[in-house]
Amino acid sequence: MGYLDNSTITVDAILTKKGRELLARGRNEFQISQFALADDEVDYDLYNSEHPLGTAFYGAAIENMPITEALPDETQMMKYKLVTLAPGTARIPVVTIPGLAGSSIIQSGGVITITPQTQNYNGGNSRFGYTAILSDSEAGSLIATRTAPQQTAASVPQFIGDGEAAQSVTVSGTEFQFTGGNQLITDKGATILIIGNETGGRASISVTVKKLALAVTPGVPVNANQASS
Amino acid sequence: MASKAYSTSGNFKYENTSMQREKSSAAVSQVQALARQLADQIIAERDAAALAAATGRVYTTFDTANDILSNNVSTVTTGLFSGNTGSLIAMATQSGQTAIQESYFRTVVDNSGRQQFSIAYGNFNGSGSKDLTGNLNDDTPSRAIYKQYAQILLAPNDLKFTINGVNTNSIYVLNFNRARFKEKIDPGNIEINLAKMNANATNPQAGLASGVDIREIIDDSSTQAGTVGESGKVYNLVSGSIDAGTSIFNAAAPVYYGLLYPEYGVAILNADVLDSQVAFGTNNANATDGKNMERMFKSISGSGAMTAVAGRTYGLQARSSEQVKSSFYFVRVKNAEYNYSNNPSFVTGSLGELRYTTFVNDPQTFITTIGLYNNNRELLAVAKLSQPLLKNKTKETLIKVKLDF
Repeated sequence: MGYLDNSTITVDAILTKKGRELLARGRNEFQISQFALADDEVDYDLYNSEHPLGTAFYGAAIENMPITEALPDETQMMKYKLVTLAPGTARIPVVTIPGLAGSSIIQSGGVITITPQTQNYNGGNSRFGYTAILSDSEAGSLIATRTAPQQTAASVPQFIGDGEAAQSVTVSGTEFQFTGGNQLITDKGATILIIGNETGGRASISVTVKKLALAVTPGVPVNANQASS
Repeated sequence: MASKAYSTSGNFKYENTSMQREKSSAAVSQVQALARQLADQIIAERDAAALAAATGRVYTTFDTANDILSNNVSTVTTGLFSGNTGSLIAMATQSGQTAIQESYFRTVVDNSGRQQFSIAYGNFNGSGSKDLTGNLNDDTPSRAIYKQYAQILLAPNDLKFTINGVNTNSIYVLNFNRARFKEKIDPGNIEINLAKMNANATNPQAGLASGVDIREIIDDSSTQAGTVGESGKVYNLVSGSIDAGTSIFNAAAPVYYGLLYPEYGVAILNADVLDSQVAFGTNNANATDGKNMERMFKSISGSGAMTAVAGRTYGLQARSSEQVKSSFYFVRVKNAEYNYSNNPSFVTGSLGELRYTTFVNDPQTFITTIGLYNNNRELLAVAKLSQPLLKNKTKETLIKVKLDF
C-alpha cells in the first residue's frame, strides 16, 4: 500500500491593503483573476554549483531558509517576480530608460520625458506597457503621455492610507513625463520606479528638483513665474 | 424452392449487409482517427499558443472553472476563552467597576486580567438588589436585568423565562464576551461547573460546602434539536458532563437548570433550581443588595479551584464557533514556466546576463511568494511559502492558496 501524494502545498493568503479596500468597497470589484510568483528573499549568491555533495545540494542553503511572513503592504511584496522565458535564454529581459542616467537634476517646472525600453526581449512589455511610480508627489507631477495597446490600470495600486496618498503617484503607459514642482523651501528629491507590466523587470531614476530662486518685489505676492534660473 | 430462394436471397442479403457494416465500420474508424488527429493537432496548437503567450510573462490567468473554488463555508471552532483555551479555571472579578455597575453586573477576568464573561442577577419583581439612585419603586437593577434579557431573548409579550415548563422570576445570567464566543457558543461543548455552596454559612457567598461537591451543567443539544425562537436556537441547560464524552445525567429526567442562547452567548440559570441543587441561598429580600452575583462567582470559581483536587477540569469549559468563508486558488506552474527571475541576484552585470552559465540550459528559481491579482494587475492578496520551493524545467508545482474572509 502506497502513500498518498502529498505534493500539493497549501498556503494561507492575507489580503493586501488594496484587497481590503476593494473588498470593503463592495461593488464586486474584488475579483482575483491571475497570479504571479516571486522570490523576493532569495539571494542567488547562495546557490552553490560547486557543492561537494553534488547537484541535489546546489540550492540547499536557499531551500532550507525560513521565510518571513507576508505583509499587507502591496508595495513591499512581489518585488522580484519570476518570469516565463523560452528555454536556452541567456539574458533576462531588462527594463532600461535610455537617455537618462541614474539621477537627474532639473529646475522647478523642468520636464523629464521617460521612455522605458525592454532589452533582451523582442516586443517585451509592448502590450501592457510599464508602470511608473513617483515616490513623492511634492517633487512634481508624473503623467503617462503614451498608453499601451492593452493597457489596464496601474499594475502597482495607488497608495492608500493616512499621509501616503499625497506622497506617491502611480501611472501606467509606455511613455511618461515628469514635471518638477515649485520648490520654495529646499531642493526636493524623489525616485521614479519603472516596472515592466509583462516581464516584471524594473529600473529607477532619481530626480532632484532645485529650489526656486525668486526675484522678490516688496508688496507683490510671490509667483512661480518669477523664478529665475 | 421458395425456401431455398429465400435462403439464398437471405444469405446474399446477410453477406451484403455484413460487407456494408464492415465498410461502414472502417469508415467510422477512419473518421474517428482523423477526428482524433485533428483534435490532437488543435490541442498541440493550443498548448503551443499558450506557451508562446506565456513566454515573456510574469502573470498567469486562472482558469476560473478549474482553478478557483470560491466561497467555501466551513465552521471553525476554538476554545472560547483568551488564548483560545477551552477552559477557564482561574478567574477573578474585575476591579475598578463602579458601585452602580456592580449593582447590575460583575465582569469576570482570567488570571491575566482579560475579560471573559459577566455575571448578572435578574428578578422579575426587582428583589435581591437595591437601587442606588434613590428610586423608591421596584425598578431596581435586578428588575432591569430581568427585563433587559427578557426583552432581548423572549418573544414579544412573553414576559418570563420558562424553564422546563415553569415560569421563573429569579435568574442568574452568564453573558460571555462577544469577542470570545465570536459568532456563537458551540452547542454541545459548554460545561458550567458550580461548586455547592454552604447554605448554613452566615454569609453564603463567602462559603462553599466542604469537599468536592460540584454540579455539572451542559446543554442538551446532544439529544434535543433545540427550539427556534425570536433569539435563534435555544437549548436546555441540564445536569451532565462533556468530560470524556457528552453525557446527560439521568437523561430521561435530568435536572433542568436553565436555557442556553448560543447566538447571544448567554446562559440563563434558574435561581430556584440553583437554590435547591447547589444551595445558592439566593437573597430575594426586597430593597436589599443580595450580593447574588458574588454567589455565582464564588460557585464557579470555587469549582475551578477544585480542579487540582478532583483530577479533572472544572470551572467553565466552552468553545466558540464561527463560519468562515474561504476561497481556494489552485496555482498550477508547469514545467516550462517561471524558470527565470527578475531578482537582481539572478543576473550579473547590467545587461541581464544569467549569474551562472549552467542557468542557460538549466535555470533554477526558488518560489517564496505567490501574489493574487485582479485584471488590473493590482495585488489583492499575497501568500508566502514556509520555505523556498525549487522550480526548474523538470518540476511542476501545484500550490493551493487559501484565502479566508
